[in-house]
Amino acid sequence: MVKSKDTINPNFIRLNGFIENTTVLSGKAILANGNESKWIATKTAPFEIRKDSTKAEKLNRIIPISYPNIAFGNQKKLTEQTLLFKNATVWTNEKEGILEETDVLVKNGKIASIGKNLSDGSATVIDAKGKHLTSGIIDEHSHIAISGGVNESGQNSSAEVTIQDVVNSEDINIYRDLAGGVTTSQLLHGSANPIGGRSAIVKWKWGLTADEMLYQDQPKFIKFALGENVKQANWGTDNPTRFPQTRMGVEQVFTDNFQRAKEYEATWKNYNSNAKKDKTKAPRVDLELQTLVEILNKERFITCHSYVQSEILMMMEVAEKFNFRINTFTHILEGYKVADKMKEHGVGASTFSDWWAYKFEVNDAIPYNGPILHNQGLVVAYNSDDAEMSRRLNQEAGKVVKYGNISEEEAWKFVTLNPAKLLHLDDKIGSIKVGKDADIVLWNNNPLSIYAKAEKTIIEGVVYYDLQRDEAQRIAIANERNEIIAQLLLEKNKGMITQEPKKKEKKEYECDTLEQ
Amino acid sequence: MKHKNIAIVLLALLLSIATKAQQITAPKQSKSILILNATAHLGNGKIIENSAIGFKDGKLILVADATTIRLASGAYDTTIDATGKHVYPGFIAPNSTLGLVEIDAVKSSDDEDEIGLFNPHVRSIIAYNSESKVIETVRPNGVLIAQITPRGGRISGTSSIVQLDAWSWKDALLKENDGIHLDFPSSFKKSGSWFEPGTSEPNKDYKTQIEEINTFLSNAKAYNLDTAKERNLILEATKGLFDGTQTLFIHADEEKQIRDGIQVALSNGISKIVIVGGYDAYKTTDLLQKNDIGVLLRRVHDMPLSADNDVDLPYKMAKLLTDKGILVGLENSGSHERMNTRNLPFLAGTCAAYGLDKEKALQLITYNTAKILGIDNLCGTLEIGKDATLFISEGDALDMRTNKLTQAFIQGRAISLETHQSQLNTKFKEKYNQK
Repeated sequence: MVKSKDTINPNFIRLNGFIENTTVLSGKAILANGNESKWIATKTAPFEIRKDSTKAEKLNRIIPISYPNIAFGNQKKLTEQTLLFKNATVWTNEKEGILEETDVLVKNGKIASIGKNLSDGSATVIDAKGKHLTSGIIDEHSHIAISGGVNESGQNSSAEVTIQDVVNSEDINIYRDLAGGVTTSQLLHGSANPIGGRSAIVKWKWGLTADEMLYQDQPKFIKFALGENVKQANWGTDNPTRFPQTRMGVEQVFTDNFQRAKEYEATWKNYNSNAKKDKTKAPRVDLELQTLVEILNKERFITCHSYVQSEILMMMEVAEKFNFRINTFTHILEGYKVADKMKEHGVGASTFSDWWAYKFEVNDAIPYNGPILHNQGLVVAYNSDDAEMSRRLNQEAGKVVKYGNISEEEAWKFVTLNPAKLLHLDDKIGSIKVGKDADIVLWNNNPLSIYAKAEKTIIEGVVYYDLQRDEAQRIAIANERNEIIAQLLLEKNKGMITQEPKKKEKKEYECDTLEQ
Repeated sequence: MKHKNIAIVLLALLLSIATKAQQITAPKQSKSILILNATAHLGNGKIIENSAIGFKDGKLILVADATTIRLASGAYDTTIDATGKHVYPGFIAPNSTLGLVEIDAVKSSDDEDEIGLFNPHVRSIIAYNSESKVIETVRPNGVLIAQITPRGGRISGTSSIVQLDAWSWKDALLKENDGIHLDFPSSFKKSGSWFEPGTSEPNKDYKTQIEEINTFLSNAKAYNLDTAKERNLILEATKGLFDGTQTLFIHADEEKQIRDGIQVALSNGISKIVIVGGYDAYKTTDLLQKNDIGVLLRRVHDMPLSADNDVDLPYKMAKLLTDKGILVGLENSGSHERMNTRNLPFLAGTCAAYGLDKEKALQLITYNTAKILGIDNLCGTLEIGKDATLFISEGDALDMRTNKLTQAFIQGRAISLETHQSQLNTKFKEKYNQK
């Protein structure tokens, strides 16, 4: 099989020299054994390119770049299409409920119409008989596609940082999320400190840049956190690096920071209202406090990592004291114990279906948490926190049915409309309604079922994931891989420098990624 | 309709009162029981649509089509009408640390990983807490049997197989010291930090590490051939590997690891071998088939290990292996693994979603695993003579939409499906009813 030799002749003769005139070159030759000699070359004819097909140097084919330039990248920019889904089971998430044998027309990136016997001459028609069409999954709490860590953990407030600065549009997990029917995610800072960083809400427009993925005019959010992570409970008992180390201290971090934010704002107001402000010294700009002032002024929402009932009540009380409200409690595994008080406060819940036993503070976490909160009238979402789970959130919604005896229609909203509400995006996404963004998924089965597979995931009319295209890409990837290996071997056989194999490693982040 | 609702509430209240004594290990079954008209999934690939499943003294005595048999009235003490429901053999969770750790982050509750490199004498069973609160939460999803397996080191220790409703580890035992676990070294090493991982590069110590394993096993083999010498309890603990009474579980994912692991085991005369993990096992089916080696396939709900792997590679691996005639069971080790045990049925469901026939997918957590663990004489299928370890579900137990157990039996005993979690559910529903 192997035809080329794996070595080259090492008997080189090295030449150096200079140009005497344009027709004669001469110089010194150093032979392989070190002996030296002289050489001379005389020009006999003008240069011409000789076309010797047998000896012509073949350059390795340069493999075309893709967008992004990793596996499953697109060959060219994907475009928005007019699509007509025929005879689908449509989960509207609206008062119409689940419609059987219904058509949906997608045009100009929006849901254009819903009904029977629709037609549009310009549309690509998709036979969706026996299939399910839903709005795209929205993950309220994700940490995928973030570069360089999720925790700015050295200080107890890092309100100055934003995930929007570190979105990595070239993360394969984006494509995997699309394959699981996810269209929008909120990327959150970790939970190592009470006041975390600002979030990024993104639509998974695979192949576009990070800036283009950011949800336009997105509501402002910040991550807060309570409990074991912020008090460094699992860092080892002899290693307290900063305040707070207890839940008691956590409360004080919040009241202290919000008090300072209030004063900061007052100082600036005072300065700005001063007629002689040009002549006086301006107060110092503080990015952390500025962000907290936005919260006080109800311009920024809080999504707060939380577990046990005591800290949940504390956080709501702090907010009420400073005259604002917590928007979302995330994780919130003991929410079921204080659902009534949460309802009074007006906060929503973004939780897990069945996680528990991983920390002391989740000892009382139960899979009935989401259903109880829902039955008490709260807006409840199921989130991932975890790269792997984010691509099968539809199954997590299935567990609402299993543990909560809640209707399938309501269960499905736990991963679509409800997170859209928590993110204040339900005017644009989260349901199949005329005029809303065409962020939709076509499933081969009931989306709550373990047997469901996304066949197409569409954002604003662009098909970012297509099962058939994916299959073609797999073949292309295998071919490309083989081609690159062949090129490498060819170079190796020519005697080029080689190196040992190396594989890039990925780190999947969760809230408390830090403790390892 | 309204009356019906009231009836349900009353029933629920009665149940909640009746189950104050929940989580109490079920007593021996004194009655003979017949489950009629359920769709029985036998675990061996077969289905009986209208089944009659009978058991007595802890063993199955009838597995038949109810439409073709004639039953004398009063042949059974109790008859359960399971029309519209489904019956399954109890699911089996291999390579599990249930009962060895209560709370992941609390070190004092952690007994899964002993210090030292070669610990075949370390036995998981004696640390198994049969009263772990995690265990009671896995039974209501159908997981009734587990292989309790130590972690860490090169040879992590010796596992044992238990049923999941017992007063103590002694009462829980199905098979003591069933196998020894070898955590095979990786041929690659990771570099970089936690927040910015570097690359995987060849593990320069790989050869030495294999040589260490080889030396250990050949010493062990030599020791166990000659009983006259001074006793070495560590080497003695491996005896079963060489007389064929214990299985060597080689934990390995890479192709090279799998091939080298099998080679080292075979060359030392070990006959019963199982691969645990097996990410690349589909690339070694020739070797696995030739040596009759089964695979306990790593967590199905996991990420592909390379960016250019098929997005659904972990989902379809069971099919890739099954199609090549390899005996495959599913294991679920990894993050949050103990509490995640209750999702074992859905791992099998995912394998069905990605191409495997549903009954074959069921075998991944019943018959195949029983066979791989060497307990197929006791459990894994609904067949006459086997333990009556089974459950009734309202629907398809591999799908979370329909996995709703109404009754479960371990060796004929009617076990509680209540948990401290369902208790909290009842308690806080009551809180909101008080208003």
